Amino acid sequence: MIYILSFPAAFLLVIVFLLPLFRYSWLSIHASSVITGLEVIPNNGANWFRLFNDERFWTDYMQTLRFAVSSVSVELILAILIALLLNHRVRSKDLVRALTLLPWALPTTVMALGWRWIFNTPYGPIEQIFKFLKLEPINILSDPNLAWISTVIGDVWKTTPFIALIILAGLQTIPDDLYEAFRLEGGKPKQAFFRITLPLLKPYITIAVLFRLAQAFGVFDLIQVMTGGGPAGSTESVALYSYLNAMRYLDFGYSSTIMIASFILLMFACVVCWFIIYNSKRLFQKSKL
Amino acid sequence: MTLVLTKLGRYIGNSWIINDLSFEVKKGECLALLGPSGCGKSSTLRLIAGLDKPTKGSIFINKKNITDVSPVERRISMVFQSYALFPHLSVAGNLSIGLKIRGASDSEITRRVTSTLALMQIQDLAHRKPSELSGGQRQRVALARALLRDPLVYLLDEPMSNLDAQLREELRPELRRLIFHGEQPIVYVTHDQQEAMAMATKIAVLNNGKLEQIGTSKELYKTPNSLFVANFIGRPQINILSPRDGAYLGIRPEDIYFSETGISGKLIYTEWQGDKQLLIFDTARGKLRMLCNGDINVPDSCHLSWSKGKEHHFDKNTGCRINPQ
Repeated sequence: MIYILSFPAAFLLVIVFLLPLFRYSWLSIHASSVITGLEVIPNNGANWFRLFNDERFWTDYMQTLRFAVSSVSVELILAILIALLLNHRVRSKDLVRALTLLPWALPTTVMALGWRWIFNTPYGPIEQIFKFLKLEPINILSDPNLAWISTVIGDVWKTTPFIALIILAGLQTIPDDLYEAFRLEGGKPKQAFFRITLPLLKPYITIAVLFRLAQAFGVFDLIQVMTGGGPAGSTESVALYSYLNAMRYLDFGYSSTIMIASFILLMFACVVCWFIIYNSKRLFQKSKL
Repeated sequence: MTLVLTKLGRYIGNSWIINDLSFEVKKGECLALLGPSGCGKSSTLRLIAGLDKPTKGSIFINKKNITDVSPVERRISMVFQSYALFPHLSVAGNLSIGLKIRGASDSEITRRVTSTLALMQIQDLAHRKPSELSGGQRQRVALARALLRDPLVYLLDEPMSNLDAQLREELRPELRRLIFHGEQPIVYVTHDQQEAMAMATKIAVLNNGKLEQIGTSKELYKTPNSLFVANFIGRPQINILSPRDGAYLGIRPEDIYFSETGISGKLIYTEWQGDKQLLIFDTARGKLRMLCNGDINVPDSCHLSWSKGKEHHFDKNTGCRINPQ
């Protein structure tokens, strides 16, 4: 009887998660494109063979991985620093917290457009600053080797507050007593951070990193607006490639294959990440007893 | 070894949370800081530990001024009310962390942790996390950590207030056995006068950051210096009768007896306390609490008396004790 109460939640989960997952899995082993007249025809896993030999997919996958790993790690470090700062007695704490959260509340498309203008040549402020300092201006958005960094900057700017908030919640669960006891034993603030704060933040860091990793891995809107995947496909993400297959080439079968493949690869990345964090004790401290 | 505080004060916001506090705790003595919440007893402990800086005054350990010395160099053990065990470390980890950060050798760490675990009889718990321990066990671990520090002074901040009454009584003798036989002065913060009397050789009663009186529990009970101390020490509370000749009259409930000649009173309340009973009478001088033998059947109205020698007089304006001429 009691299971009836979980029905709304289960229903929602099935509608927005399980159904699309099954639908895409099913589509991924069928041909469904403009050539088949959008009919769904079984094609003996031809999509998957195509995927394994699709250089563009694997390039995009590595690019997405590069984007996700670098933005999440930069975000995590910045977020911990910001949270530590906010956890201290800051004047007008609430106002500062609200301001910190502002970037996160902004719609991605809006802020991506903003960043595109900031990096714009020759009118963007970055270019102006370079000119003012009499430096050789670099056109970051049109340099295939550097453009991905601009997308990382945009992502870091937007989502650092989110991680900072989670870390801040974690910091507030650590009682002051622990730091005082540690101080009496001769612990320095730096040692306190590595021996108390970081280990006790671990569950919060895990949540934040896994959550953000999954999000960053599926990045679409930021890149679509900022670079459109360019220049020369150097910032194209897996989600963007999948989108192009579906919406530009009207190949729904292959688009689904990309989706499912990236889903599996993301799961794999998350498990690896979780494993690293949960075995991180040796990274922070050598415990003998 | 001695601990001396001279004219210690701490000013926060716009008030002195501790003011002009001076006392001395000698070798092997245990001083209980007793007082209501907010009286500054925990703040005093934090000043001695070096967690807070005093606004004025000095602290001496073994005649050395340590007012500006860092907490770790003061070599102090503090047992926190919450125990402050590190939740991510095992019991052994909690004991060894201090030695580790102070750079002790591995063999020394192993030796001292093992011997302290043995002394506290908690070898079996060595690999458990604090969350897997009972309240009493956590307290033992906190004590073990304090012992391991080999300090010059022990500070205990309500170390038993998180335990139930029975466990508290069981742990008292043990606490005394482990810590109180040593050379080190001990400062013990509590709001429980029973505990203060049981544990301490001297009691300091604090009120609003000021020292009201310091002495043995007997002295505090027999000759309270002020109205506040008289009210705070002794249960049931002392009777304070309305002022006459510019002085309050205090008389303890246990010093009142029945007599034909005393003032008449009407029994309005009885509280059974085992071998004793607490009676409250309505008299011409106000309500009177009286403690008497539990076997007596008390009539509804009777006459009460007390001897002159048991009276305490306090100045009407200052609340200070007036000694009889």
